[in-house]
Amino acid sequence: MSKGLLTTTVGSFPKPDYVVQARNEFSLGRLSRKELAELELKATAEVIRLQEDIGLDILVDGEMYRGDMVAFFAGEPGGNTINGMKLGGLVRSYGNRYYHKPVITGKLAWPGPMTLEMWRYAQSLTDRPVKGMLTGPYTMVDWAFDEHYGDRTQAVLDMAAVIHQEALELDKAGAPYIQVDEPAATTRFDEMDLVSRGLSIVTQGLKAKTVTHFCYGDFARVFQQIVNLPVGQLDIETANSDYDLLELFRGKQFDKELAIGVLDVHSHRIETVEEVVAGIRRALEVVPPQRLYIDPDCGLKTRTWDEATAKLRVMVQGVRQVRKELGID
Amino acid sequence: MLTTVVGNYPKIPDRPRPPKLRSAIARFDRGEIGADELRRVEDEVTVEVIGEQAQAGLDIITDGQIRWEDDQTYFARRMDGFSISGLIRYFDTNTYYRQPVVEGPVRWRESAVAGDYEFAAVQSPAPVKAAVTGPYTLAALSANHHYGSLRELVLALATELRNEVLALERAGAPVIQVNEPAILQQKEDFPLLRQALEAMMDGVRTEAHLYTWFGDIDGVYPQILELPFAAIGLDFAKGPANWDVIARQPFTKKLGLGIVDARNTRLESVEEIVGAVRRASAIVSPDMIYVNPSCGLEYVPREVAQAKLARMVEGVRRAGEVLA
Repeated sequence: MSKGLLTTTVGSFPKPDYVVQARNEFSLGRLSRKELAELELKATAEVIRLQEDIGLDILVDGEMYRGDMVAFFAGEPGGNTINGMKLGGLVRSYGNRYYHKPVITGKLAWPGPMTLEMWRYAQSLTDRPVKGMLTGPYTMVDWAFDEHYGDRTQAVLDMAAVIHQEALELDKAGAPYIQVDEPAATTRFDEMDLVSRGLSIVTQGLKAKTVTHFCYGDFARVFQQIVNLPVGQLDIETANSDYDLLELFRGKQFDKELAIGVLDVHSHRIETVEEVVAGIRRALEVVPPQRLYIDPDCGLKTRTWDEATAKLRVMVQGVRQVRKELGID
Repeated sequence: MLTTVVGNYPKIPDRPRPPKLRSAIARFDRGEIGADELRRVEDEVTVEVIGEQAQAGLDIITDGQIRWEDDQTYFARRMDGFSISGLIRYFDTNTYYRQPVVEGPVRWRESAVAGDYEFAAVQSPAPVKAAVTGPYTLAALSANHHYGSLRELVLALATELRNEVLALERAGAPVIQVNEPAILQQKEDFPLLRQALEAMMDGVRTEAHLYTWFGDIDGVYPQILELPFAAIGLDFAKGPANWDVIARQPFTKKLGLGIVDARNTRLESVEEIVGAVRRASAIVSPDMIYVNPSCGLEYVPREVAQAKLARMVEGVRRAGEVLA
């Protein structure tokens, strides 16, 4: 692996049409869970091949078997469901998009491994490191209804113990990176302490490098708290805001690893190599290459397979160019 | 004591009931049906949700805002000066809207909601109230790339949205509700809100209500009672401090009592509702209270919304017996 500017992705990849169709057939009762699972494994292998072919350094399993990052742990078919959670009815997310919003119905408890088997499978397909992917306790609670606790703090702390168990399993199995996403963290400025308490429970005693991804929020207002979170790497979206967030790091004490998004995942447009290179150069002004990781702004699941591939190829091309300039290729 | 809702109502039901609107919008987006057919489905679903609200026993209902993609763009799309941009979180929810961007002078072109009101009024067995997003909230949730300050944008929007209120008045709406949730996040802007709403409501004769949600009015009470509205709607689920705040000074308007949590699926018991109604009745005369959910019901699934409204109506009925 290169000595710097390692490339990775945030987690999800677009599902191939045959998986989308199979999930639909399954939900209508026309396909068995076993048949769907076989297609998910096939697609996972394709996603691993694709990432190797593009030349990414740190891989993900692509989440072919997950619908939503919270609902997967809370009752989506195929996954092992956290005790005390279930899927609720349909709620609108935006526009014409709806999802089954999870409900906390009882005391939260770890149900046994939820992501381990698929991580093992993905890692068995490649020599490159595959990240373990979890959703953080604050986001798990914030994006669910609560019919049991009536107290956000207790719900988040119990959830943190559950996610910690899962992280320990991945850690024991040898996952080199464990990513714990908290996209809800920047929703309420007065609860950053709770986000931090939750993450410190999750990451306690792990040997793996830990990563947290954020998006959709007023990052600037909670910058200092985020920088102090108990994880090794922060992953932020920067391409969709012209890399303005990087200015927050200028002149500040920052010794974690930083992953920056150089691809706008909500745009169909394929970035140019020059744009990617310019973004990386800006990031290099605030973080040295050994601590800088390059990835897309967020999960790629809303792009088409072709768009995602094209965007990632541009990203890798841009990274290679900068590595060459730095003499670390 | 009357029962009502705050605004939106879940657009699609759970299985096995068909998600008519979702399917129609998907087909419209793929070019398989035209605007007329989409409109027909919107009408059909509107009639459906009017029926559900009436069946729950509400005294005043809305059209469920079935046609609204969100509170902001439904108005911004019909005005000059706006473009519609990327997804952004709506307050602290996990619901997103496309952010309006102010790129030029804002100008009202045509009514967004008067036609919707007329359609609903014909279909509904109960009186229908119509809602308009207020100038402060529309400005605060948009990106301002044109006006020199938020203040200029808010005042410009107040002038333009006045046309929306007048259109509803001409259409005969018995109650016009103005929504200003954003002021609870930026209370120091209250003088600006007051100036804007006074301009917007000047000369309006229809009964007007001002609704807020996702917070409390500590810091703008009792001044909020001076605004030109007959009723003020408050969220007691996300703003429990409202209980203490309104007890500090006489509440001299009608109160929109948002006591059923429209952001959580936990069903309130009838006893809880009776308790809350009695608590409010000690502060405001019962004939001055509208009991309603804490905000629009779109944050919970359709079946939960129905169940919550049924509980609410039952609780108000029981409270009425106790208070009588």
